[in-house]
Amino acid sequence: MFWKDKYKLGVALIDKEHEELFRRVEAFMKTLRSNESWGDKVHEVNETLEFMKVYVVEHFSHEEAYQKKIGYPGLEDHKKKHDEMVEYVVGVSDQYEKSGFDQQLMQQFGGRLLAWLVNHVAVEDQRIASYAIDKGVANDEN
Amino acid sequence: MMKTELYTPFLDATRQVLQTMLDLSDIAERSAEQFDEGQENLEISVGVVGDLEGTITYRFPSDTSLNIVQILSGMEMDSVDDFVASAVSEIANIISGTVMTLLSADNLTCDILPPVQGRLDNQKEYTQHTQCCITTSAGDICLDIALSRA
Repeated sequence: MFWKDKYKLGVALIDKEHEELFRRVEAFMKTLRSNESWGDKVHEVNETLEFMKVYVVEHFSHEEAYQKKIGYPGLEDHKKKHDEMVEYVVGVSDQYEKSGFDQQLMQQFGGRLLAWLVNHVAVEDQRIASYAIDKGVANDEN
Repeated sequence: MMKTELYTPFLDATRQVLQTMLDLSDIAERSAEQFDEGQENLEISVGVVGDLEGTITYRFPSDTSLNIVQILSGMEMDSVDDFVASAVSEIANIISGTVMTLLSADNLTCDILPPVQGRLDNQKEYTQHTQCCITTSAGDICLDIALSRA
């Protein structure tokens, strides 16, 4: 299982979305890494990619709204990291379509997404949780 | 090769990232001479610009690369392919970014360039040239650090 309980921030909406994101990325990786031929799995890969493009943007905006609500001082830096990732996802996706669904591009994307997501949730997002706990707002309604 | 003042931030950043991302707590220093040259290495280079300029080259033996990506993904990996190399490159990128944050506490402002696979062919001489090698239960990693003050 890719998701770990230690990634939980204690903010119900964000935790639920993180778990969903990890579930989708895991499904994406499993499809990418399966022994099926690229031709057999490319449709599923493309569907997951389209979902993630929408879901990632939605999730980032929810997370940023939460940071704003609790007055998180690292919001601007955090938003910059989100924006860079969205730019990367959109850029790779465009390049992928133009290439006629090149497998190498998607394998590289999957690997980077995996490491980026784990670091972002395990490190960057945990700073938000630490701030919320320090300020005594961690248990406020989302 | 002498350990320069840059050795500690690189060691600390590597330790920090591997602990947080991979739950590796058994990280120990090892000498560059003991670094396992017996297997093929995945080399990742990260350029540095700003108050310091130069390159950090990461060497990940194949076993280390596969173990790291298996721990991260929870999936079996059997070869250092595009997926594995890209995940390991991102880890090198994250370690480098963490080093830059640690250096900023010493008033050194630097940026990193996107990681590239392979060793950059750079003939420049650097004033600070050091190696930082570690061993973990996931395998060994060695960083070649070649930097000068701009």
